[in-house]
Amino acid sequence: MALQEVRVTILPHLRDPSGEGVLHEIRQSLGITSVEKVRTVKVYRFEGIGEEEARFLAERLLCEPVFQHYTLNRPIITDASRIVEVAYRPGVMNPEAASLMKAARDLGVKGLLAADSSVEYAFYGALRSEELELIIKRLLVNETIQHVLETPPRTLLLGSEPGRTQVIPIRQMSDEELLALSADRLFLNLEEMRLIQQYFREKGRDPTDAEVELLAQTWSEHCAHKTFKAKIIVNGQEKLPFLTRLRQATERVGREDLVLSAFVDNAGVMAFYEGWAICGKVETHNAPSAIEPYGGAATGSGGVFRDVMGTGQGAKVIASTDMFCFAPPDTPPEEVPPGCLHPQYLLRRVVAGVRDYGNRMGVPTNNGSVHFHPDFRAKPTVIVGAYGLLPAARAAKGRPLPGDAILVVGGRTGRDGIHGATFSSAAMTDRTLHVHSQAVQIGHPIEEKRMADALLAARDEGLIRAITDCGAGGFASAVGEMGAETGARLYLDRVPLKYSGLAPWEILLSESQERMVVAVDPAKVERFIELCRFYNVEATVIGEFTSDRRFQVFYGEERVVDIEMDFLHRGLPQRVLSCQWTPPERKEESPPPVELGEDLLCRILGHLNVCSKEPIVRMYDHGVQGTNALPPYGGIRGDAPNDAVLLTPLLGKPYAVVISHGLNPVLNRLDPYWGALWAATEAVANAVAVGADPRELCLIDNFIWPVPEGEFLAWLDRAVDACVDFSLKMGLPFISGKDSLSSTYRSGELVIHIPPVVCISAFGRLPDVGRTVSSDFKGEGNLLVLVGARREEEMGGSVYYELRGIESANLPRVDLELLPSVMNKVHRAIAGGVVLSAHDISEGGLFTAVAEMAFGGGLGAEIVVPEGSRPDFFLFNETAGCFVLELKPGASPEELFAGVPFLVLGRTLGRPVIKARWGDKLLFSVNLDVLRAAYQAPLKEVFG
Amino acid sequence: MRVPVLILRTDGTNCDVETAYAFELAGAEPHLVHVNQLRRREVRLTDYRLLVIPGGFTYGDDIAAGKILAVELTSFLREEIGEFLAKGGLVLGICNGFQVLVRTGLLPFGRLGEVQAVLMPNAKGRFECRWVRLRVEKSPSLFTRGMEGQVVEWQAAHGEGCFYTNAEQLKTIEEQGLVAFRYVDAEGRPTQEYPDNPNGSLNAIAGLSDPTGRILGVMPHPERFVLPTQHPNWRRKKIPPAGFFIFQNAVRAAGG
Repeated sequence: MALQEVRVTILPHLRDPSGEGVLHEIRQSLGITSVEKVRTVKVYRFEGIGEEEARFLAERLLCEPVFQHYTLNRPIITDASRIVEVAYRPGVMNPEAASLMKAARDLGVKGLLAADSSVEYAFYGALRSEELELIIKRLLVNETIQHVLETPPRTLLLGSEPGRTQVIPIRQMSDEELLALSADRLFLNLEEMRLIQQYFREKGRDPTDAEVELLAQTWSEHCAHKTFKAKIIVNGQEKLPFLTRLRQATERVGREDLVLSAFVDNAGVMAFYEGWAICGKVETHNAPSAIEPYGGAATGSGGVFRDVMGTGQGAKVIASTDMFCFAPPDTPPEEVPPGCLHPQYLLRRVVAGVRDYGNRMGVPTNNGSVHFHPDFRAKPTVIVGAYGLLPAARAAKGRPLPGDAILVVGGRTGRDGIHGATFSSAAMTDRTLHVHSQAVQIGHPIEEKRMADALLAARDEGLIRAITDCGAGGFASAVGEMGAETGARLYLDRVPLKYSGLAPWEILLSESQERMVVAVDPAKVERFIELCRFYNVEATVIGEFTSDRRFQVFYGEERVVDIEMDFLHRGLPQRVLSCQWTPPERKEESPPPVELGEDLLCRILGHLNVCSKEPIVRMYDHGVQGTNALPPYGGIRGDAPNDAVLLTPLLGKPYAVVISHGLNPVLNRLDPYWGALWAATEAVANAVAVGADPRELCLIDNFIWPVPEGEFLAWLDRAVDACVDFSLKMGLPFISGKDSLSSTYRSGELVIHIPPVVCISAFGRLPDVGRTVSSDFKGEGNLLVLVGARREEEMGGSVYYELRGIESANLPRVDLELLPSVMNKVHRAIAGGVVLSAHDISEGGLFTAVAEMAFGGGLGAEIVVPEGSRPDFFLFNETAGCFVLELKPGASPEELFAGVPFLVLGRTLGRPVIKARWGDKLLFSVNLDVLRAAYQAPLKEVFG
Repeated sequence: MRVPVLILRTDGTNCDVETAYAFELAGAEPHLVHVNQLRRREVRLTDYRLLVIPGGFTYGDDIAAGKILAVELTSFLREEIGEFLAKGGLVLGICNGFQVLVRTGLLPFGRLGEVQAVLMPNAKGRFECRWVRLRVEKSPSLFTRGMEGQVVEWQAAHGEGCFYTNAEQLKTIEEQGLVAFRYVDAEGRPTQEYPDNPNGSLNAIAGLSDPTGRILGVMPHPERFVLPTQHPNWRRKKIPPAGFFIFQNAVRAAGG
């Protein structure tokens, strides 16, 4: 029976917002003016039913005649210049297909075998073929998952014979052959390949493809953190591994009262109130986002949500965060390296991916930032975080017992995401886009949402012994890690598949999304499965944990893996990495001052690293769950950024969770020690600025680094030391972290080192949300105070210097000796109720902080620059750990801030102007509306 | 006895917990009920006086927002819903729930299975989350009693909230006074201007009542403003939680 095609479109006299969106991008991103109008058509295809049933579905399900019309098995738009149909490639899961099947069943349609949907774009106007090609390539189709449908498919049913297991004759291979086997597939070095060879020589047999893949995956940088566990030699001196240093710092800091679980679980866990705990995890998803930004970012969010869901015996996800670094959106296309996507496209699509996953999951996205630097043109940095709430009694990482059943819960397994773990450990090249399209995953947030609902119910019934996310490396990683101390037997033929045709190794390694692996007591398996079914979630027993400390994997009768857990997890020798470090030369500079007029101030506020990110934030649901007690943007017009988010996850209780972060890729290039310290200080300062207690926080580290060879390793060493120093001085523990060490791009002669990024996230608890502040000015005539230690001439890496074209290594050095008392004094002032608004200083300096506070209050400010200061340094210095506070009338700064550096800045004004005086001289007096317009312009342009 | 409230959830529902909390605060006894429980007859809708369809992305909003759940309700629960309404039951749909009610035909005219209006994709073509001003209109709605003429601030968070219908239906809706909420500007006037009208809704319509006043659907989220600290600017001024009256009125109308 032929496929039935239903086409649905919005009635011709009505607007088509999707078509208008495409038109906007054609004009704005591509500069093509020949297209006059774009209309979109939804195309549905059904297999197994006749025309009558298709018409029934069109009328009852697909088309709403109030604003749409439809056709059956014929075109619906006939007057357009060109029509292009874009569909998912065969084998790529279309999330809508299952809904079509369900609704058809509910409507009583029988015999439907398969359904699919796609979109037709109809273009009006005299566009040329090459313009259409460009539109298709750049805007409509992501070739890794979609294609232009030239001829309608004959069938929607996919399937083929399962692939076979192959034996790899590794024992006989020469070094060259070993390296050839590794290239583009395993990403192991020769030494590691030889270890595998040796292991199988001793066993007296050759490995299967599944065994080689399993080892490569487990030993990948992504999973094994070989660099972070390596012995480091700097300038001939041996130092502890990075990971050891961070963990030892946490141990020395102590805080057993706060920390419930550090570094051992999918997320770090800290105590909350009334028997509850909160957990946090921050991940990167750079490589997938570089080649398929929408899916890459979405599945990044999905993955980090599952990390939280798989913490302890399961947590509820209560917050999502996102930190991005891109090249400027106006980067000329010819400057984008071969094999890389344009930053404007990346930015828009990454934001859309994070948006759709978080919003659909019902997880508020509340905290984040976007940074721009031209060197991100070869690969963006995409950092996604998630935070969760769980009973403290269920916060310890679960351990499976021998005999426990292994269940896979959630989505089905397909070919998506094969080689994600190994691929993300590799440097990006001009071939990446081509070779690694299989590493792309497609997200299905609704699948994950119903799985989350089911798992929380199972947790509360005590049905979960241990749980972990099935992320990078698929079952190989999830089961391999869970069973490391016991042993595991896995039966791949029992795994529910999206379609037939997968080879056993592909099932083992697949990174299909929305799956979790759960260890369940055999006596509770039946109830567990029943509960999952109730939530429309598939749960299947696929093996059991054993006591033989072996990882055995079967496909039917065939044994495809038999490896000792010990070799898998401990067979890799510790690496020894050495590097040289020469401190950068720091010179005192004193460039001539310039006129501080409206133009310069607008350029500061309109700088991409300063400007408003509100258009992005508005696309994220930050109010879902009803917990938000401090929004990302507040104030009378909702346009003033707050420094951190506050959530009250136990509705009706005053207890708050604070979440913040800090990162500054520009400073890391100048000196990674001070850059990392800046990031950590900024994270904590952001939390303190809203009222958090700096002793009630936990930290999460993320290092996103160029391949750590030579000086980049030395840089990493410096950055880790900064984090350790910060942790010890502030008395704050790191409880989770992640490194991603592949930010190098290579194409022939061209090598681009993507700027190293240290992102520090902070999260913590507050007993009373009532004692917190926002950043917007509250009233006229109030005293403004600057609190914190800074050397004003340390302007290296500042936005001001960048605008003036000054390169300087004289970057801000946070004073770690003074920092704890500065933070404590600010916290006590806020908790004491005398601070009306507060904002910490970061990119754009004090001036920007004051301007943002003024936007929120619709009020002005008058700042007095001390006579001994240089006005430009005073206003634009970006030292972290400094705060601008608006004090309640009558509050005495001398009493509040005795013992720490502080300065009375001036006062708030009733008129919407920002003025600065220097001695007798009026430096400037600028209208707030002018500043606001400059501040909002850049991203309004990108997002419309 | 506290009024039992059926809060319907299914795959992709995500505002159920805070909606239940709002009803708890209003003195009711909310039950989170999965649509599967209704389909299996484990739970009977007719045992309740109040059915609530909360926000979310039911079934991923595939085909159109709320469509798949609407099909499920009109195909499997048609008779039970009819019986429930005949016995004087009340229905509240928020955000995705409003989309579901419109796509079942329950709004605006209470005619199950007849889709008379739609919530189209936002004029801007994308999801947006922002606080908006709403004027409570004079309508038959039992949920808005005593609040007519007031302007309240709620959070809107949706991608498909642009109310649309044809001229004939719109005329009937206005003539029968079925508009329960309109988006208004700072002066309290209904507006078509973005962002005060965040999605381009016809006649600035943000919420509708059926002619009996027993069914209400609204795009912005009253359940996100039942506690003082949920307002973005609670530190600037003390604003009484302006979403709470919906839940109080609902419980009262349901006999609580």
